[in-house]
Amino acid sequence: MDATTSDRIMVTVDGRTAEVPAGTSILNAARQMGISIPTLCNYRGLSCYGACRVCLVEIERGQGRQLVASCSYPAENGLVVHTETEKVKDSRQTILELLLAQAPESAELAEFAANLGVESTPFKPVTNGKCILCGLCARVCNEMMGRGAINLFGRGIAKQVRTAWSEQSDQCQACGACAFVCPTGAVDLKTITARRLRPHNTGYDQFLTARPCIDLAHPQASPRVPYIDRDNCVHFKSDECGLCFKVCGAGAIDYEQTVETLDLQVGSVVLTPGFEAFDATRRGEFGFGFAPNVLTNVQFERMLSAAGPTRGHLSRPSDGKAPKRLAFIQCVGSRDAGCDNDYCSSVCCMAATKEAILAMEHEPGLEVTVFFLDLRAFGKDFDRYYERAQKLGVRYVRSFISRTYEMPGSKNLRLVHMNPEMKPVEAEFDMIVLSLGLEPSASLQKQAERLGVVLNRWGFAKTSELMPLDTSRPGVYVGGAFQEPKDIPDTVMQASAAAARAMSLLAAARGTLVRTKSYPPQRDVTDEPARIGVFVCHCGSNIASVVDVEAVVKKAREFPNVILSEHNVYTCASNNQDLMKEKIIANKLNRVVVASCTPRTHEPIFRDTLRDAGLNPYLFEMANIRDQCSWVHSASPEQATAKAVDLVRMAVGRAGCLMPLQEETVPVSNGVLVIGGGIAGMTAALALADQGFPVHLVEKSDQLGGTTREIHHTLDHGDVQGFLAQTIDRLRASRNITIYPNSSVSKVDGNVGSFTSKVVTDGELREIKHGVVVVATGATELKPQSYGYGKSKHVITQLELADRLGKGEFDLPAKATVVMIQCVEQRSEERPYCSRICCTTAVRNALLLKERFPKARIMVLYRDMRTYGYREAAYREAREKGVLFVRYEADHPPTLEVGARLRLKVREPALGKDLQVEPDMVVLAAPMAPRADRKEISELLKVPLNADGFFLEAHTKLRPVDFASEGLFICGTAHSPKFITESISQANAVAARAATILSHKQMPVSGQIAYVDPDKCVSCMTCVHLCAYMAPRIGTDNKAEVQGVVCMGCGSCASECPAKAIMLRHYVDTQILAAVNSLLYAEPVEKQVKNPYPEQVGVAPPKWHKSGV
Amino acid sequence: MIVANRKHVQELCNMFKGHKRVLLVGCGTCVTVCLAGGERETGILGSAVRMALKLAGRGEVVVNECTIERQCDDAFFDPLAAHGAEYDAICSFGCGVGVQALAERFPDISVYPGLNTQFMGLLESQGVWTEKCSGCGNCRLGEFAGICPITRCSKRLLNGPCGGSRDGQCEVREGLDCAWQLIYDRAKAIGTLSKIEEIALPNDWSTALDGGTRKVVREDQCIAGLGPKA
Amino acid sequence: MSKYEPLILAFCCHYCAYAAADLAGSMRLQYPNNVRVLKLPCTGKLEVNFILAAFERGVDGVFVAGCLEGGCHYLEGNLRARRRVERAKEILSEIGLEPERVDMFNLSSAQGPRFAEIVNEMTARLTSLGPSPFRPARGAEEPVREMTEQAEASLSGENHDCCQS
Repeated sequence: MDATTSDRIMVTVDGRTAEVPAGTSILNAARQMGISIPTLCNYRGLSCYGACRVCLVEIERGQGRQLVASCSYPAENGLVVHTETEKVKDSRQTILELLLAQAPESAELAEFAANLGVESTPFKPVTNGKCILCGLCARVCNEMMGRGAINLFGRGIAKQVRTAWSEQSDQCQACGACAFVCPTGAVDLKTITARRLRPHNTGYDQFLTARPCIDLAHPQASPRVPYIDRDNCVHFKSDECGLCFKVCGAGAIDYEQTVETLDLQVGSVVLTPGFEAFDATRRGEFGFGFAPNVLTNVQFERMLSAAGPTRGHLSRPSDGKAPKRLAFIQCVGSRDAGCDNDYCSSVCCMAATKEAILAMEHEPGLEVTVFFLDLRAFGKDFDRYYERAQKLGVRYVRSFISRTYEMPGSKNLRLVHMNPEMKPVEAEFDMIVLSLGLEPSASLQKQAERLGVVLNRWGFAKTSELMPLDTSRPGVYVGGAFQEPKDIPDTVMQASAAAARAMSLLAAARGTLVRTKSYPPQRDVTDEPARIGVFVCHCGSNIASVVDVEAVVKKAREFPNVILSEHNVYTCASNNQDLMKEKIIANKLNRVVVASCTPRTHEPIFRDTLRDAGLNPYLFEMANIRDQCSWVHSASPEQATAKAVDLVRMAVGRAGCLMPLQEETVPVSNGVLVIGGGIAGMTAALALADQGFPVHLVEKSDQLGGTTREIHHTLDHGDVQGFLAQTIDRLRASRNITIYPNSSVSKVDGNVGSFTSKVVTDGELREIKHGVVVVATGATELKPQSYGYGKSKHVITQLELADRLGKGEFDLPAKATVVMIQCVEQRSEERPYCSRICCTTAVRNALLLKERFPKARIMVLYRDMRTYGYREAAYREAREKGVLFVRYEADHPPTLEVGARLRLKVREPALGKDLQVEPDMVVLAAPMAPRADRKEISELLKVPLNADGFFLEAHTKLRPVDFASEGLFICGTAHSPKFITESISQANAVAARAATILSHKQMPVSGQIAYVDPDKCVSCMTCVHLCAYMAPRIGTDNKAEVQGVVCMGCGSCASECPAKAIMLRHYVDTQILAAVNSLLYAEPVEKQVKNPYPEQVGVAPPKWHKSGV
Repeated sequence: MIVANRKHVQELCNMFKGHKRVLLVGCGTCVTVCLAGGERETGILGSAVRMALKLAGRGEVVVNECTIERQCDDAFFDPLAAHGAEYDAICSFGCGVGVQALAERFPDISVYPGLNTQFMGLLESQGVWTEKCSGCGNCRLGEFAGICPITRCSKRLLNGPCGGSRDGQCEVREGLDCAWQLIYDRAKAIGTLSKIEEIALPNDWSTALDGGTRKVVREDQCIAGLGPKA
Repeated sequence: MSKYEPLILAFCCHYCAYAAADLAGSMRLQYPNNVRVLKLPCTGKLEVNFILAAFERGVDGVFVAGCLEGGCHYLEGNLRARRRVERAKEILSEIGLEPERVDMFNLSSAQGPRFAEIVNEMTARLTSLGPSPFRPARGAEEPVREMTEQAEASLSGENHDCCQS
């Protein structure tokens, strides 16, 4: 083709011809072809200066050849260029040797030269600096920044880069661009600028390290796209620069983007703005902001991160040394009326415990001390974790810290705390971490007003305990810490629960906005020999600047079954995707290999392209030559290229064996089985029924309500009995709910989406079909064996007290003394967990007693007051109203003599003396214990229990309402002790999670699952024993079979099956071995499919089957 | 089920001294179930033997492997027969029966055992097998509450425990249950204690291994002309 | 001849180790280029014979990298893998090959630096152990010995099954 149109010209570089715009320099033309030419002084986006001459190439000129600087020589039509001839190499060597003599101290230049094979220079150094006078710094300062703070001055050997009059420049904006572009590390910003240099610390690493002005917002940012920090970017501040726009090969920089306001028509709003950490400078007495070794816990969390500013090493900001003595100060900005945060932030005790353990793992020998007020390890298994921390050597000191003092020389920090004898002692630490409180997002305070949502007195969304998800405005729901400070599992639960509330409201509109993409029918390729297309990506310069893409492409053509091998600058760009689609069709490709970035992000994109081209998406394989090659071997391009070839060869080997997989669907039964008719079970049933799903609610007793029947008041004065009655009425009125009182579940068969269960009611058996199971069997207050309970009518439990108070059946003599004993038979060796609710229950009951019997003396004996969240305010109110709180230690529990009078003795740790009381009434905080039938349910559903007998969820943090087996859910106190409000949240969360299954008529089954070849199976049970999901089972023909819907696709069974009867689709032996076998050299095609035996060995004719037993 | 376990790789290599082409033959029944001689294990050992031979300077020896349905019937060797001539040694990854069956079928080729056949037993928990039956030829399990004292009592006592039973444990080996304790417990549980009070007569060992190779004949099943050899 | 550079095959699980390797890339950590990563959905899919096949084929070392113990995306695949790696070590030592040539590591997806560390550690270990005796001359296009015929046999059989049903 004759390309003589005025704006496009044809250029040939190293034997490859391409079309480029007229006027393109040879260097840029070569770059577009993926051929990299070394240069020092050329910088994309800056004008060409031709100073370094390293980019010399040889061009064909008429009869002869000529050396030219490729950066400054404009390519002309038909030009033929050679970049690596002997002449080029010789001249470049001399040039580099001269440059080395010019800048003998530059390590950067020495490395650059060494990579091009020049290790030393025969010339005598002319100066002793680092500068090669390429002028890049001056060009970026003039052309991009419009400053002209530095320039080239003088001539000949007197030439130098400097500021005017060699004085620190006022013109300089201290942007650092000159230092950034300098190829030899010669620029020292301090000598240039008159301004104070300050690192551009960003929130990415909690202001611990400097980051560029274009960066990800945070490591997990989604979408994972960098953004420009407009407050610091030169372009946005002074309209200069714009270098990023010129450099970005993908054209992704858009300075015109502005904040857009979108109008959305929605039926419901869920508020999840989260929280903000307390501003540590408001508690300046701890030294944050001026003492460098005082960090916030959020900063410390970054420091512990392997990908953080210090790569997971602990280091003191003042001197970079590892600390030996570390202290945590708890409750900074929480439980603090002084800054209006008289609530507890709920999460900091455990967060500090976790950070303490991690810190000790990172820095062996580290001494960690946690200064705390009450250790609030109230969540599931939290007390065990706290015990573990103590065993590992974390020192917990119960002491209020009022301030820290920084030591002038060492920058260590001193503080005063109380020792166990309650004497003040001074201690010194190398580093201090402040456990910051959680505060509501400041920006939301105004928004809330606009949204018409009422906030509580601390600025969080106002909800009630019985309606924890509903804000003051109907249809607006709240999830996460904006409702109340809470940790991850509670946040996840509440967010799901808010979704359930919205789904109930919008049930009628479900599915009306769904759009589906249509694909052409898939071509059947099973009988075709493999025809592989290889697409190697430059990823701009991310890959091409290190890996010789062209060489990889060439090499790939030699691999077996490869029909086509090509390269693109950006393979994932949409036009190249279209091109790939055309190539697949035109070349009848049936397997595709893309060598580019990571399949973790891009495999779905390319699989979609395959589907668009009529191929099964599983006929695709990726070679990761960026994240795992060019980025990590940038210093050794040759070996990186060799590795890229190996990786492509492995991918091609595997691709040749790939087979199409069908992602099937199975029908879903939209019914629900709820086991347990307490508040959790009923709430889940209602939430699901409201969404239109038929619910079967099985309750073993004759009444609904469970333990809630004995509770009358919430802390915020909610009427629990009224709420319960209302809930039961709604339940009975719902057309979607069938209630089975006096019933139990005797059998559950099937798997997610299609269960069949048997329910027994008074001996009568009924069969139910349903898609999911909800376990809400609850917990019960365990009746104590100690403190004379049962022997004296003056010793009762908190639940009994609440019930009698609620029913108005409780009376006390005037001036009576009531003692409440906390942690009875719990947080003990036998029952090493906390029941979470007892501290608050004691406070609530104490307040009720004070209301009814103002003259009564009430004393609460506690170990740690765990009144987390807003409950802290009630604790404070109780103290203000005269309730006496006395702490006791676990090894000195109170003793009670039960006789004509009750005599109670307790050791007060601060006084070190016993207190003696003769109470009129003793109230015990008995543990909340799992129901007796937990084991039956656990075996019935094959779901696990934890060591305390509560049901164990799939993931304690991230999947708090799911069981590991799909389609089974857990809510309420069967999961762990919790308040009614938390049970209501969790029950709604279950409804949302269950709806993700029930809302589908058909459920997709992944293609990548295990499959048993029944002819090879010997029914040895190995797979059945080892699968963590119980996906394999012995089928009706006595052979193992894998239940597709249950299989997660890990391949554990396939890897152990002794008969090799199980294969994990998409990862079958042959596919993996093909990659392994291609590691060193390509397997010749004829070697790949050869069977040494005429018939398949293993099954002798006639076909033989074991008889069924 | 017959339980076996694998031999040391070097032991296998030593067996193949002087051979040029070796075929490892796995068995798809008992030894597959006890994770010793199925397709997976044969493949693993094949790979290991090839590498070990190469390290010993015998890299020229060809070692191939295949696994057949069952080694205790000649019919399943048919697919191998065509290739028998290609090998000068066969190593059976079946039980001792398989080894001998192969030896009968391939009279001209050396046949070696790839496994150590252990006992007839049961999977106790994943990866653990225990012996349950000694094949004495005269089953008296009914007298002993379904627990075999011949196999499971270290001293093969038929009339109650020896003096070395401590807390239900056998004195011979640590961690071994006393069979007589088990028999007693089970007999008590099912209410047949009186049965074990009776004196058990000495065992008739003529049906056991001591009496020469044993044979079972079912006349009605014998096909005319192909009857049992005398 | 150039200096000996070990060739290492790494079996990495999709959710943790492979992600950590990617993160090492995003962080531009530099580590030796001896390692070739093969992605598995979970180290639970690792088979003893994959490790042996890799050694037979000539790699100098193998490492298996899965999620942190207790943090497996598939609950306990990494625990199964660890046992299989132990078994492979046992067989390797019977063969007469150093069992240190294979190892199992656990890391989370956030531990990019740890991945680089592992590669450094394995490279150093294998450099001191020297080349594998099964290693063919690099760049040889012809296999040194016949490939295992069982693997070939299965090539024709298994593939079809996996697409039919």
